[in-house]
Order: sequence, then structure tokens, then C-alpha cells
Amino acid sequence: MTTSSELAVEHCDVLIAGSGAAGMRAAIAAHDAGAKVVLLAKGPRRANHTRMSGGRYNVVTGLNPKDTDDAFFQDTIDSGMGINNYELTRILADEALARAYDLEEYGLAWDRTDVTKYYMSMTGGGTYVRTLGSIDEGIGITEVMLHQMHKRGIRICDFHMLADVIRTDGGDVAGGLVMDLSKGVWRFFSAPAVVIATGGTSQLYETSSGPTINTGDGISIALRAGAELVDIEFMQFIPISFVYPPSARGYTLTEPAHYGMRHFDPNAEAAQLLNNKGERFVLKHDPVRKEGSTRDVLARAIMLEILEGRGTPEGGVFMVPDPQVFESFLKERPIYVKRLLENYGEAQARLEAPIQVMPSALYTLGGVRIDAWCRTSVPGLFAAGEAAGGVHGANRLGGSSMPDIQVFGRRAGIAAAQDALAGRPPEGAGLDRARERAAALTAPIGRAEGVRPIEVKRRVQKLMWDHVGLVRTAARLEETLRAFTDLRRNVLPQLKVTDKSRILNREWMESLELENMLDLAEAMAATSLQRKETRGAFYRTDFPDQDPQWTANLWVKRDGERIVVEKRPVVTLGAAVPAQPLAAAIS
Amino acid sequence: MTTPATITVTAEIRRFDPSQDGEPRYQRFEVEGLANMSVLDVVRSIYENQAGDLAYQFACRIGRCGTCAMRVNGRPVLACQERCKEEMRIEPLTPFPVLRDLVVDRTEIESRLAALELAPKRDAQHPGKPEPIGADLAAKLCNMDSCLLCMVCVSACPAVDERPFDGPAFMLKLRHMAEHPADRGDRLGQALDHGMLECFNCDVCTQMCPADLSPAQAIRDFRKELVFGGVSKR
Repeated sequence: MTTSSELAVEHCDVLIAGSGAAGMRAAIAAHDAGAKVVLLAKGPRRANHTRMSGGRYNVVTGLNPKDTDDAFFQDTIDSGMGINNYELTRILADEALARAYDLEEYGLAWDRTDVTKYYMSMTGGGTYVRTLGSIDEGIGITEVMLHQMHKRGIRICDFHMLADVIRTDGGDVAGGLVMDLSKGVWRFFSAPAVVIATGGTSQLYETSSGPTINTGDGISIALRAGAELVDIEFMQFIPISFVYPPSARGYTLTEPAHYGMRHFDPNAEAAQLLNNKGERFVLKHDPVRKEGSTRDVLARAIMLEILEGRGTPEGGVFMVPDPQVFESFLKERPIYVKRLLENYGEAQARLEAPIQVMPSALYTLGGVRIDAWCRTSVPGLFAAGEAAGGVHGANRLGGSSMPDIQVFGRRAGIAAAQDALAGRPPEGAGLDRARERAAALTAPIGRAEGVRPIEVKRRVQKLMWDHVGLVRTAARLEETLRAFTDLRRNVLPQLKVTDKSRILNREWMESLELENMLDLAEAMAATSLQRKETRGAFYRTDFPDQDPQWTANLWVKRDGERIVVEKRPVVTLGAAVPAQPLAAAIS
Repeated sequence: MTTPATITVTAEIRRFDPSQDGEPRYQRFEVEGLANMSVLDVVRSIYENQAGDLAYQFACRIGRCGTCAMRVNGRPVLACQERCKEEMRIEPLTPFPVLRDLVVDRTEIESRLAALELAPKRDAQHPGKPEPIGADLAAKLCNMDSCLLCMVCVSACPAVDERPFDGPAFMLKLRHMAEHPADRGDRLGQALDHGMLECFNCDVCTQMCPADLSPAQAIRDFRKELVFGGVSKR
């Protein structure tokens, strides 16, 4: 049996963590630029967030002559409430089409109305009809990309979790410390470039729509490696998701059921939302648009009812659907009718009885701070996709994640290959650090007494959901931040793993995830405390209005165990990146 | 506003850790919960509350990632899409090698998929504008590309058991390329090489598919092409 200090050492040019579309697109681009690439998947390669998405893709195709890249850019800035990284948003708008064609070249068939005319639809927030889709949704996108990976012979390591990025004495990337979960052994991939494409942080919340693997690993790893995070206080929630059974909790219930006749007629009313007293509570928040209001307003309104004790015993509120839309709902989204039937019953599936709904954590708006080529502030470290921040600002347009991961995945791959081919870390660099870290991360296996990771995970998820979620306030944030710091200092070193076998030891994996979750939870709570306003997806009950002083970004870095938060002006087009922060705040 | 009914489930789970066990064993658990819990809900509850050493796999829990396939009372199912029963014997998906407990090793499956070269084999570059594909054909291609590769159909297929046949999912993936207008590969030839004619035409794959697809129809289309010839793509 391998001991904790034993490391299997391998070499590659570009090491990529994450098997979703951002990671695969980076792998394809890096390979095509001449680099030897290894891609790590924490679970089986198909276990990723892209695959769960609806695959809807915002892009200006030219089919709608009124729409332009400028309009797409402006919509994204407007939706992001002006705190986007303008340069990244510009790149998104300009390159989305070329990447949509790449996917078609890979074998994806976008929905069509005619032989060379794509079917376009509308998603929330855009000015023009500019969303492509395909019936195979996120599944098709990941499948055609996997075939391209196979075609190039790019190595994919299933059940390989990146544990940390290791740096040389000079501060450059030396490689990645990786846990091979299927065998329970540590590997060190010596590599001059590492790409973080591990997706978001939705699993930090008690109720979430994403896959169980999205524990924010790569974002925390980048933070520990010395990179900066940006906008990490911004988390996007969907208002309408299933409440039970456990496996369905947090899973999106889609538009037609929620919007009712409004799905077809903008002047019609959306399905009413009622609390346990039968009150239409949304009217307090948006008397004009009512239940047809935006996602952020609805999600927040529902959460307030639940937090203030006016929810159902199961933890939701009631939505009164419109049976008139049943036939079209059945035709448009049969899978949701099936799920309503299985989860709730026939009357609900026919939209004839009230349906229990609740909000759910969907998408991490912030992430690792990157430049136009996905470089972080650490030489050799790159980030792309949901793990990176800045593209979408304070709120994301529905349909903009798919082009993001293609556009920036490719850019990360090209830049990482270029860096990697320019020079390698010295032989053996980082090995001692990697060994030391591996030994520390193996400790929970040897511990006889202590706390199971799942118990701490549940506590973090509950604290994040209640206090660093849809509704935030100074007192609660301070309390929660103290709780996180306490958990990290006093409980993390006490983690124990029931099972002493190393093969597919889920609790051991969870102990690694938990450190990532806590590092990130602290950063999210600390930045939330700093931002004294309400903007986009971010809501503070004690600062309920948007404040122009806060048209700014918060950058986070780590100084040892300390979290350092800096307020920075927004990087608009043509503006130079400021050398000094506006104000430094240390928590 | 009714409260959902509850159930007590008795689950017998096949345990096997190749690093420690000579033989597999079965362990019994009782789980109480909502009557409409999925099999995955039961397995997760056992891991979280009773057996921290249980190895199992899932990611999306909504029938998209295709990684939680297992056998329940002898039937291959996607655990997140299958409602629990009062008595369940839960085992890893056959006929694949077991990594541990309920998790199978998919290395060979992935090698087979790679060997089928499922990217379109083009004789010309993508035009850099919408590629000509009819609207109905695009919908059909997307439908075939919704396959989860969960291997439920391969596990259920009686021909895979008895004959040199890769299995229904692989035929569906080949058919996807056979119908793709840009692909110039000999997909029928590949289907034949990988045992297409060994299929009994029993349709079990279609009945078991958690994504409501029909690998059997893909095989019938290949057979039609074998007898009557395919449609020219040029």
C-alpha cells in the first residue's frame, strides 16, 4: 500500500482540472497549439455542470438584422449592473459566433427552422431574440466535445481530483497535486501551466440545482495558490424549483408552468405565488410586474417568506399554475410534466393544483480574476468558465453561460499552451511541497476520533443558505463569518473518515472538498459584509438600495490564513487597470 | 395541500472492496422517507446516516450525467430516475468490472467509444456559417445525441450477454454519425464489425432507456441500409 508521502510523478505541458465544456475546450485548444495535455475529471468525465444545462446559447448570428454584437455587449453590461469586466464581456459578444460554429463542426446540430437557418428564441434579459438551442441540450454539447477529445487522443483521467496547485520557490506554477480517487493514491503532475475549469460553488448551499461535484474546489485552490478572486459575493439563484423528494429538491421547474399565459402573452399574468396564509406576498415587492417580475426579485421574495415562517412545512411556498397552458407545457417540456407527476401527483402535473416551489442556488457569478487570456495573477495559472469571474457582473443573462465556457475555455487553452511551451519548471520543483501537503490531506484517514465531513458540510450549507444566500444582513454575516473561521480552525483539523480503505473513499474526498468549501464560504461572507448595497443578485436587507459608490468590484486574496478584500474601480474598455485599490479593507 | 406519504425501505446492498475483500457480501439497511424517493435518495441516505464507507457514484441526480446506473432487483436502472420499492437488492451494473461497492470501472467503455471515432469525418472544412442540415434531420440528430451513455441498455441487452455484440448504445452513437450529413465514415461497416447483426430485435433497450430513446430503431435503420442501401449525403 502507498503511504501518504509517496507520490506518483508524471509530466505534461498543460494540466486542466474540470471535465465540463470550459475544461474540454481548453484541452482541445491547448492540444491544437502543440501542448501535451492532461484533463482531470473529479468523477466520471460526464459528471459535469455543462451536461445539466439547457444548452441555450446567446449569440448574434446575423439572422436577426437588428441585433448586433454591440447590443449583446450592452445587454450583458446592463444585466450585470455595470460591474462586469468590460473587456471580457466584449470578447464574449465578439467571439460567441465563431465558437458556436466550432460546436457545429464538432457534430452538434443547432435547432433549425430551415436548412441554413437556426431557430432562435428569447431568454430573460436580452433586448433581441438571440438564443440558439438544441434538443440534446447540455448533453449534446458535452458529447460532441468528448468525441473531439478522443479524436486528438487527449488523456482524460476519471476520478482524479485536483487538491492543490503547487508553486516553485520563485512563485511560478510547478504543477498540480492530484488525488486519484479510484485507487486512493496521490499523484503529482509536474506542469508549467494549470487551467482551473472546475465550475462553480452551488454545493455550498443547502438547496442547489447543480451537480454534487461543484464544491468550488478550483476557485479555492487558486485562492490558496495566491490568485485573486473577483465578485465572489455574487451568487445567482433561480426562484422556482422543486421542493421534494430529496433528489429533486432545488431542481428547476421551468418557465411555462411558472409564467402561465404570460409565457405567450406579455400582458397576461404569471402564476400566483402564495404563502401559508394564502397571501400573494410578491405584491409587496413588485406591485407592477407582480409574479412576472425578474428572477432575482422573485427568488428573494420567496426566500423572505420562508425565512419569516410563512412557508410550507416542507420549506416552500405555493404556486397556483394555470391549467390552460397544460397542453402546450406537455408538448414543449414533457420531461417536466413527467417530473411533476412523479414528484407531486397527477393534479399538479395537470397544473390543476397548487405546486410547492422554492428558490435554488444556480450559478456562481464571481470567481477567479482573469485577464483577456484567462491568466490569473499567478504565473502559469489560468481559469475559465464558471470558476472565473467578471464576464457577467452582478447578474447573468439566461443563455450566456454556454458561450462563456466555449469562448474563454479556448482562450485559456491557447494561452496556457503558449506559456507552457516557453519553459518548464525545473525537474523536481514543488515535489517536497506536494508531499507535505499530501501528508496533511491524508491525516483524516488515520484519525480514530473526530467529526464526519458530511456533518460539517451540512452545517456550512445551512449557514450559507440562511445567511450568505438570497437575503443577507450585517449581523448575520458577521456571526456566520465567525462560525466559518471557527470551523476552519477548530473542526477541520478534527475531521475523521469512517472507512480506512482508500479506494473510492467518499468521506475522504469530502474532507478535501470541505476545506475548499470553507475557504470559499469565508471569502463569500467577508465580501458580502463589505458590499453595503443591493445590486443584481446581491441583496442586503440593511442596505436595500443600489449605491453608485458601489459600481465597483471586490477583489479577494489570501495572506496566510487572512482574507484580504480590496475595493477596486470597474475595468471599463480603454481604462487602464489601476495600480492601487480605492480602499483597502482587511477582515 | 396534502402531505406526501412515507415508506420504510429495506435495501440489501452488495459490498465489495477489491483491496480488502475476497468475496462480495450483502448488507441490509432500513431507510424511512417519502414514498416517492428515488433509489438514489435511498443510497444517499444510507451513506449519510448509516454507512460512511459505502462507495457509490452520482452527480446530477436528475437523469442527465448518466453516472448512477445500477441494478435494482436484477434490473438495470438509472438510480436517480427509479422510484424506490419496499424491498430492494441493489447491485453494481453488470457486466462491468467493479471498482468498489456500487461503482463500476468504465475504462473499457470509454476506450470503445474512442475507437468508434464518433467525431464527424469531414472531407471539407466546416463552412464558417450554418452548415446545411434540414430542420427535421437536425431534430433527429439531436435526439440521438441525447444518449446518456449510462449503459443501462447494454446491461439489459440479452444479445450482449450471449453473443459478440458491443451493445445498443454503441449502435445508437454510430447511427448518429451515419445520419450526420457531414460525416463520410463507413458507419454501417463499423456497426457490422461491432456485432450489429447479433441483435435479437427484442426492443428491451428501448423499453429500459431512461432518456426515452430507441437504440433498437437505430439498429433497424442500419439493417434497412444494409439491405436497401443508404441515402446519399452528397
